[in-house]
Amino acid sequence: MEYANLRRQAASLKRSLFDQGYLDEQFCQVEDLQDEASPNFAEEVVSLFFKDSARLVSNIEQAMEKYPGDFNRWDAHMQQLKGSCFSIGASKMNNECTLFRNSCGEENAEGCRRSFQKVKREHAILRQKLESYFQLLRQAGPARTATRSGGK
Amino acid sequence: MTSYVEGSPVKALIVEDSAVETMILSAMLRKFHCEITKAKNGKEAVQMFLEGKKFDIIFCDKEMPVMSGPEAIEKIRALGEIHVKIVGVSVGDNAEEEFMRVGADEFLPKPMELDVVGAIIQEIIKKKKNNDTV
Repeated sequence: MEYANLRRQAASLKRSLFDQGYLDEQFCQVEDLQDEASPNFAEEVVSLFFKDSARLVSNIEQAMEKYPGDFNRWDAHMQQLKGSCFSIGASKMNNECTLFRNSCGEENAEGCRRSFQKVKREHAILRQKLESYFQLLRQAGPARTATRSGGK
Repeated sequence: MTSYVEGSPVKALIVEDSAVETMILSAMLRKFHCEITKAKNGKEAVQMFLEGKKFDIIFCDKEMPVMSGPEAIEKIRALGEIHVKIVGVSVGDNAEEEFMRVGADEFLPKPMELDVVGAIIQEIIKKKKNNDTV
């Protein structure tokens, strides 16, 4: 069945996202919040995350340009992004955010710039992978419950 | 996991500037049939109390624009709101100490877990039920 195949592909993609460290257990917590009233909750949260995080990344970029050396400001912006990453289980992004904040603490501008490039890269990769994941789930349709076999 | 008690739902105030985190916590609280109000920063939360709004529980983030969580909690308690349960929420270092110092009842590290949130809400439901039967 096409549905079963698509579901398998989605499960496999999700497993790889965990194995490669893109996602952690918190993502499962978000998916577990789905129910009949909110069947697409996880996709909605992830969609909001990418909309919000794109804005935060832009804020950080502008802050680094307009306020060179203002590590407190840079750090404050990155803290917001890190919080969101943490909440949806975006593990690799979260780690890169931490490295950026560490560089802020050390007042290491070059370190911040390097980390920020990695944050943007991980953001783009995760976005692409999760878009693929949810596309597979949408194509598969809602989960079907098993039916008893029998003549019909 | 969820339990529903007849009577008024638990009135929860979420004080959080992150839309993503608000969405997730709201979904958790809906599992327990809470009535949810949202504030984007500490100042909005304090304003609600100044307007006479009442809540059973507040989940309050620490770092927010305009007014931080601890500052808001201090002001809310200073208004005489001693019965509302206040839960400080943060990923930050030393957050728990700061929250408890200003009058929070409890601290939860982020990310919050459904079971833990559920246990807190169940405690409030039980308390409301006891108050109703007194």
